[in-house]
Amino acid sequence: MTAAAAARTALPRRGAERRTVTTARVVVAEWTKLSGLRSTLWVALGTVGAAAGLAVALGLFARTDAAGPAALVVSGSVLAQLGALVLGVQVGAGEYGTGTFRTTFTAVPRRLPVLVGQVLVTTGVAVVTAVGALLASSLATWGQRGAGPLVAVADAGTARVLAGFVLYQAGVALLGLGAGALLRRPAAALVATVLLLVVLDQLLATNPGRVADTARALLPGAGARLVQDDARLAALDAASLGPHLGAWGGGLVLAAWVVVVLAAAAHRLRRYDVAASMGE
Amino acid sequence: MSATAALAPRATTRPATGRPTLRHVVAAEWTKLTSLRSTYAILVATVVVSGVLTHLSASASSGDPGFDPLRSLTDGLVLAQVGPLVLGVLVGTGEHGSGAFRATFTAVPRRVPVLVGQTVATAAFALLTAVLAVGAAVLGILPAAASRDITPDLASGGTPQVLAGMVASLVGTALLGLAIGALLRRPVPALVAAVVLLLVLPVALVLATELAADPTAAPAGGPVPVAEAVVNTVVTLLPAGAAGLLTAPPGSSGVEGAPDLGRAGAALVLTAWVLVPLAAAAVRLRTRDLG
Repeated sequence: MTAAAAARTALPRRGAERRTVTTARVVVAEWTKLSGLRSTLWVALGTVGAAAGLAVALGLFARTDAAGPAALVVSGSVLAQLGALVLGVQVGAGEYGTGTFRTTFTAVPRRLPVLVGQVLVTTGVAVVTAVGALLASSLATWGQRGAGPLVAVADAGTARVLAGFVLYQAGVALLGLGAGALLRRPAAALVATVLLLVVLDQLLATNPGRVADTARALLPGAGARLVQDDARLAALDAASLGPHLGAWGGGLVLAAWVVVVLAAAAHRLRRYDVAASMGE
Repeated sequence: MSATAALAPRATTRPATGRPTLRHVVAAEWTKLTSLRSTYAILVATVVVSGVLTHLSASASSGDPGFDPLRSLTDGLVLAQVGPLVLGVLVGTGEHGSGAFRATFTAVPRRVPVLVGQTVATAAFALLTAVLAVGAAVLGILPAAASRDITPDLASGGTPQVLAGMVASLVGTALLGLAIGALLRRPVPALVAAVVLLLVLPVALVLATELAADPTAAPAGGPVPVAEAVVNTVVTLLPAGAAGLLTAPPGSSGVEGAPDLGRAGAALVLTAWVLVPLAAAAVRLRTRDLG
């Protein structure tokens, strides 16, 4: 080492240390970016409102003796999943629309830590939002259920449905994040994930058969089985000619989709130009 | 012809006042729509999806004893309608995202003609897409029909009405997307609203009937329970329900417990779903800042 180089490294030592990019700092930066957006708060509030609102609306029709106490509380997930999806898509694709990604990837040239940070931050927000949605739905359907303000976790089935709601919301948010990071355009990512989660399932449901039922079981929407109680799962399995995955099996299918889409996004991020997505 | 006009013959092709007429605005919107690559991608995807899905569905049920290939015509519509919907949302929101709206509304300061032009251009392109998609659906059922030695008769038995209803519901879906897009101006909120309205609410309402249904009750014959009738009425009045009535084979009664709108009523419901948000978008365009 030459004297000049030694002098250069010795002098700005404090500064050099401060400039080091660690995953923890990237996570903090992603949290700052996400929590600094007003739209994040609105999406979270909208998700909670949609879940509780749909639960109340469905509660007007539900027969109190037919469904378990938790079934009504989590019934808002049909709408709430869209909130989680939008959250993930915005985190994954938002920076490419505005051009902020240039700053982000100049600061973190290894790029992948950004995706890791986004995964952690999105999971956190999605979980907190889902818990909030459960609380709001419980309070909102208090009178309709005729039980206490909050759902008592009386048995394993109830606990699984409530935890399943949170896990499903987190999984859908991560699917949206992966699609957003992979496609880099919010509208395209949203359309693709809605097709996968909602439309294809509806389409296959109109044409039941061994092939269609197997395909339905392997779509990411199979994760919604986490939210369905045991009686409903049994009814679904009885009507299906495809594989009977059970609740956790459906969750694993969604998890596999999340891993594959995120891996594809990570591959695109590492191997290909980030700036190519601008100016189309 | 006067001397000045003879000297400048090309001037006759331009409006004398320099003000854009509605015809020019429609032509400009058509140019904008047809010079985007994504427009054609949506056209091709919609036609392919319609043809392939109808073919798969008809082939899957061709083994059934009472197989009628014409019943499979509408099976691809759930997925095929996403194409026109996205097309409409992109036309409605695209310029606001890219900033091109500044140039557009500088050229047409009265603003509302732009919305009219977008509606006409979108309707025309969606009509082309819908006719091709329905044609692809008809081609899709032919192999399955041939395997059972059935010649589908498209000219009678109410099939022309079903085909027209398919075209109308696809065009209506595109215009609904345009209306929501023009009202909300941002693609993600507009897409979420359109998806909720068109795809998710029907699912949620089916959930409501399942929760309301009494599994021990007699399945048929008795009067429809009030709760179920309410849900079915709401389903019928949603865009998806109206489109379903438009494409229903003739002679099929409406949904249980819901008012029977008929084909004309369903068309009116779908038109109202297009016109109300479109009018709201026009009001926002005229009275509020473009942002």
